[in-house]
Amino acid sequence: MNIRITHSNFSIQHSAFSVRAWSGVSALAMLVALAGCGAETKVTRVDSGVVTDLSGRWNDTDSRQTAEAMVKEALGTPWLDNYTRSHRGKQPVVVVGMITNKSHEHINVQTFVTDLQRELVNSQKVTFVAGRGEREEIRQEREEQALHAREDTQKAPGKEIGADYMMKGYISTILDEADGVKAVFYQVDLELVDLESNVKAWFGQKKIKKVVERKRTVF
Amino acid sequence: MAALHSTSPVPILLLALLLSACGPSVNRYALIDASLRAGDTHRADAIVEQAQKEYGAKNQVLYRMDRGMTLHLARRYEESTAVLDKAEQEVEDLYTRRISTHVKAFLYNDTELPFEGAAYEKTMLNVVKALNYAVAGNVQEALVEARRVDHRLNVLADQTEGTPDAYRDDGLARYLSGVLFEAAGEFNDAFIAYRKAHEAYLAAHSWSRTPIPPMLRTDLLRITDILHLTDEHAQYRQAFADVSWQPAADRQQLAQVVVVSYNGRAPRKEDQFIDLPISVDALRLVLLTKAAVGPNTNTREARAAESLFYGLNGRVVRVALPRLVPQKTAIAYGQVSLIGAEGSHSVQSELVQDLSALASKHFAEQYNGLAVKAVARAAIKYAAAEGIARGARAAAGRDAGPLVGLLVGSLAKALAISTEEADKRIWRMLPDEIQIARLWVPPGSYELRVRSIGKSGSPIGHEIVHPVTLQSGETKFFTELALP
Repeated sequence: MNIRITHSNFSIQHSAFSVRAWSGVSALAMLVALAGCGAETKVTRVDSGVVTDLSGRWNDTDSRQTAEAMVKEALGTPWLDNYTRSHRGKQPVVVVGMITNKSHEHINVQTFVTDLQRELVNSQKVTFVAGRGEREEIRQEREEQALHAREDTQKAPGKEIGADYMMKGYISTILDEADGVKAVFYQVDLELVDLESNVKAWFGQKKIKKVVERKRTVF
Repeated sequence: MAALHSTSPVPILLLALLLSACGPSVNRYALIDASLRAGDTHRADAIVEQAQKEYGAKNQVLYRMDRGMTLHLARRYEESTAVLDKAEQEVEDLYTRRISTHVKAFLYNDTELPFEGAAYEKTMLNVVKALNYAVAGNVQEALVEARRVDHRLNVLADQTEGTPDAYRDDGLARYLSGVLFEAAGEFNDAFIAYRKAHEAYLAAHSWSRTPIPPMLRTDLLRITDILHLTDEHAQYRQAFADVSWQPAADRQQLAQVVVVSYNGRAPRKEDQFIDLPISVDALRLVLLTKAAVGPNTNTREARAAESLFYGLNGRVVRVALPRLVPQKTAIAYGQVSLIGAEGSHSVQSELVQDLSALASKHFAEQYNGLAVKAVARAAIKYAAAEGIARGARAAAGRDAGPLVGLLVGSLAKALAISTEEADKRIWRMLPDEIQIARLWVPPGSYELRVRSIGKSGSPIGHEIVHPVTLQSGETKFFTELALP
């Protein structure tokens, strides 16, 4: 019996509420329906040099700009003049070694290595030789030439140029995050090591800091 | 009730209710389980892949989690990583919440919200990815996942500051990071990870059902010895006085095998319907319906029938809440052996993560909030259905009003009841428990044998055998699924 009385009260309250309830429910339904509209896909062709920071992660711009800046810095420091002077004008021979990814991202290190190699070759200030992986492939090709190519076109073994310096380094990150704001600090450390003496001829560092903000709520 | 029966359009309502009673297919998981039990991991993955549309747009993170795991079990590591990467990206995107989606979920049910996974499931994304890389022999990329999980857990610790009993760190993720850093020769990072693992196991001991793995104690002693951290080493020696350990110098020429075992299935969730009658008639109806439908009210047909009767009566409010159903493994440990020409080496795997305990913890933390929201939603749905009935009655005029009001009200209330559904989404492809075994052996060729031992002490299932060749200083990772 008590249950019926409670229910009766409940109904009376809602008879006055019915019109507002109708409009309220309709408005909510419309809002929900409108919010479900999808976004169209748009593709814009841009120059490869244009900076496109979308997610805040390491991207092609970071790789290219870091390689350019660090090689420029490396070739602008005294070790290069010192070497050229002490070797009667001969350019130093450089090989790119291991660039270790110690970051929080799966960075394609090979892209960065390629950017470094391009900058080194195009500088015309150093002689650049192939790294370990490429050398294996080239040696295999020479071995095959020795077996299959015409004698006057065969390339002889033992004529490779040994590198004077190896460029190696690390990409590392420091992350900080709170309330949807993430600060990403990239640090690229490169060094040139004298392959004969293990002396570090140059040490360069490039830092990039990005702040990524995300909204907690949108309509 | 007799009058209602004579005029009610029962078949139309029943059809409408059956159509509206949509939800994830439970059969899918039964088929996947059957395939995995038969050892056909590729078939299990194909079932998940074919069901992508069935998962629905709001459950694509769950689809990718399930798919990433079946691909991992099928040893398709690159594909698994790609799928899990996408899941992680989508989880990150879900940080931004849409008010409209939340309003819709509040009016309809929680399954309208996009699935983003519990904190422990997000951690497992990185753990599985790290294992994908590690088993494929790419320890450097596995370390990226170790760093990512470190960041994830640091953010989680900040978010749960002031609640020391919450899930705010992860023993397995920390321990696996330590193993990976040590395998890469980064001993200082390995020490930090091992130490954090020890702290995480200690902090969660009241609910995690995972005691500190004994091997973690020897790891801490070994790594502090390698790093010449004399103070820390002395502290650990004092704390683990009964532990015998081998200095790193004795292991320099050895190779290591790490076996990660996935035992059993993670818990699942079921609907738990609470039907609240708000009149004596309604109480009688609920009792009669429950008696007629029987104990299994989770079938679509039973739910449709209940919704129809309750809707026609108009005085029943339904609240749906999830119920966690554990699926505990019968396996106690794995006996891991390396048998070579020079001799054999054997070790027992140790529990490093009880995922059922993590799921229970998350469920318990969420339950009160879910219950309050479910009751509020049921009350709003009931009030809205009442309002719709009254509006329809008024609009139809004096003659047709009562009948139209009754029909529209019944339909609205039946729909309100039938749309009430608990959020049962959970990463079910995870195991119940994860165990790890580590063996250091001289380099050479071996046969790796893994045998599951039940809680009664007798072997369970088939022995798994892999040929393995090890070089000095090398660490090789293996993962195994044991479902008994």
